[in-house]
Amino acid sequence: MSDTRRMLAEMVDPLFAGMGAAAIVERDLARLEELGLPNLLVPEAEGGFGGSWLDALTVFRLAGYHALGIDLPKLIVKRAAVADTKLSMAFARACQIAGALDAALALSIAYANERQQFGRPLGKFQAVQQSLASFACEAAAANCAAMGAAQALDRGNAEFEVAAAKLRANRAVEMGTSVAHQVHGAIGFTEEYALAPLTRRLWQWRSEFGNDAYWSARLGSKVIARGADRFWRDLSARTDHS
Amino acid sequence: MQTFATEAVDWPDTATRLRDQVRDLVAQHGERDPVRRANSWTKPNPAFSRKLGDAGLLGMTWPKEYGGHERSQLERYVVIEELLAAGAPVGAHWIADRQSGPLLLRLGNDRLKRRWVPAIARGEAFACIGLSEPGSGSDLASVRTSARRDGDDWIINGQKVWTTGAHISQFMIALVRSEAGSERQAGLSQFVIPMDAPGVTVKPIIDLTGAHEFNEVFFDDVRLPADALLGVEGEGWKQATAELSLERSGPERYLSSMVLFLELVRYAGTRTDPALQQLVGRLAAEAWTLRLMSASVAAKLARGEDPALEATIVKDLGNSYEQAIPQLVQAAVDFGDADAEVLRAVCFYLLQVSPSFSLRGGTREIIRGIIARGLGLR
Repeated sequence: MSDTRRMLAEMVDPLFAGMGAAAIVERDLARLEELGLPNLLVPEAEGGFGGSWLDALTVFRLAGYHALGIDLPKLIVKRAAVADTKLSMAFARACQIAGALDAALALSIAYANERQQFGRPLGKFQAVQQSLASFACEAAAANCAAMGAAQALDRGNAEFEVAAAKLRANRAVEMGTSVAHQVHGAIGFTEEYALAPLTRRLWQWRSEFGNDAYWSARLGSKVIARGADRFWRDLSARTDHS
Repeated sequence: MQTFATEAVDWPDTATRLRDQVRDLVAQHGERDPVRRANSWTKPNPAFSRKLGDAGLLGMTWPKEYGGHERSQLERYVVIEELLAAGAPVGAHWIADRQSGPLLLRLGNDRLKRRWVPAIARGEAFACIGLSEPGSGSDLASVRTSARRDGDDWIINGQKVWTTGAHISQFMIALVRSEAGSERQAGLSQFVIPMDAPGVTVKPIIDLTGAHEFNEVFFDDVRLPADALLGVEGEGWKQATAELSLERSGPERYLSSMVLFLELVRYAGTRTDPALQQLVGRLAAEAWTLRLMSASVAAKLARGEDPALEATIVKDLGNSYEQAIPQLVQAAVDFGDADAEVLRAVCFYLLQVSPSFSLRGGTREIIRGIIARGLGLR
């Protein structure tokens, strides 16, 4: 991670944590504007932050991690005046899903280590361990996919990568939300506990800006049109230096 | 928290040229039959391995002094992912190039290194790994094959099983109990055993497809010189498990069914079927994601980090992916179609062998247990 990105993360993380799911535009947007966050992707020449898509990933992911109540990613994309809003928003939601999955995973692990049943912590039970391990794999995949899409956006043409990332993140929502709730039992089902704002958003973001069917059909028809013999060549050429 | 710290992989400038080199070589000397291209890292072809050796594509990262080519870890990664994506028959040298050579270079004495490493890099010496025993599978610390001192020599007795490629290998690196009466992880050592040493017997185990990949290997008073000991006496457990973490995240953990996916893409191109389009899209997205994850771990390994948790995650996801492909293809494609013949043949082959994908290199249950520990579940 670059130094500016680390600084960005260090600024945004406590800010979003403090605002959380309860953040509302009327009260909290001014603070975000003060810090220039809605202009993250506006070029410096136009008075913006001049951030890259990797910077955007950092902010979007943390907005997801803290289930930020204000749709800051949408505001950032709107001000960026991008060519393809749906694609950019699909990327934003993929990053938010990645962040929210990591947050739900962290909650689940902490709870499993703390909650005692049958005289030992839940985390000691192999069945619980195996579920959480699978959850971690899905969260990892969503995070890597978001990162790959951000890199591709910074390189230029990223339609394939964003489609793949949103699809992969969408798919991770299924296991993430079910394991998180399963591990938490009844407490995860309450209004007061921190899990519900995360899973509510995860289910929402999975549908927004292209569900699984939409992106898989779009991606699949492109791959099929290019043909079997081009698939691996295309995949490797996308990351090699030209 | 972020379980899998991802970052940009800086692919080598030579990648395009290396890919072209591998593609030409595979086009000339590889397998045509898609069934034979599936799960290709278990398919031995010593002649192909020698071609790779001649081309400088084995032992790529090793010192020139030992027959290597001093290329970067990521250059090697480019080569192996190209070979696997093309379904090249790399089974003969796979283990030696991936882990036995590096292990010998790291821990071997000079005689062992000079005897084996240059021959591996030429594609002439192949290796097998002696871990499992009749009573010792996932519970590796229960090995009973023994080494006892006799003057300066060591005498090996016991049995290994499920030994991949023992019948085509020139040597084995075996984990054995070198301290009588020791228990579990203590008292284990690694030895380099020439397969033509007197007292070594190899018996084939034929798998459910009729193929000969596994073997039983018996040691009957096999006498080894003192310097056949690899690394430090009694440190075998640590040495062997460090080796395992290196092998978990390679591209072979997600590409074993790639040829079937490509045949699915070809088949889907002959019709308009939304269900097939979606399946192709989903599998393509997963391949792209897994490639990023696997390469990201390779980049960390190249920098000398030990991303053990990430590597284990790649193995679990990758195995599940390569295992799911044949099931999903079978569910989606009508094998009664005349033009589905190739697809059907590859699919049925992979349906039979794919259960092994989540067994080899650590079972899914063991792997998830390791991930859980890495997550801090206690």
